[in-house]
Amino acid sequence: MDEPALEQPQSEAPPAEPAPAQAHDTDGREFLALLIGVAGWAVPGLGHALQKMWGRALAVFLAVGALVILGAGMRGNLFTSRGEDAFATLGYFADLGSGAFYALARLLETAGPDVSHSTGDYGTRFLATAGVLNLLSALHAYEAARGRKA
Amino acid sequence: MHVPLTHLQSMLLFALIISLAFGTLGRRRPLERLKYAIWSFCLFVLVGIAIGWLMYPFSH
Repeated sequence: MDEPALEQPQSEAPPAEPAPAQAHDTDGREFLALLIGVAGWAVPGLGHALQKMWGRALAVFLAVGALVILGAGMRGNLFTSRGEDAFATLGYFADLGSGAFYALARLLETAGPDVSHSTGDYGTRFLATAGVLNLLSALHAYEAARGRKA
Repeated sequence: MHVPLTHLQSMLLFALIISLAFGTLGRRRPLERLKYAIWSFCLFVLVGIAIGWLMYPFSH
């Protein structure tokens, strides 16, 4: 059964523009959300911790940390900025997504990568996934700070 | 540090970690998180095994 259509209010007045103070608040909130997003990228889970989403912060920190530690332990390839081709550059951006944990992976992987075995190849995927997961988490924290979703 | 893992162990560990993160990020309530994580884990494992069998004929 069709529901009756709601009547639209007839108004000749133009839509009201936001007051200057309200616009200022919106800009401030956008900037804060951006800072939270960057913090979430730099330190996995920090973006959510700043918004007191403790469960999510802990989950992201542990998940990204575990992936990085396992990936480095499996002697995965941690890409550098001096990539030889487009795939190496993409891999570098994925690895860099881990923020501070990228440096941790460098410290842990003292023996260097070894992708001659399947374990090393899996390690490369673990490291890249850690970065992409952290980017996803930082984006989630940014959106939550903007009030879009939580 | 050296972490020797087999193919299956790597896949299960990967699926477990990612599923827990997805569940926590994607849902609000604890029960919904758990359900989503279990669902995601099962899909990861099933799809992984299915792709493995699909590739099996090409390995011979």
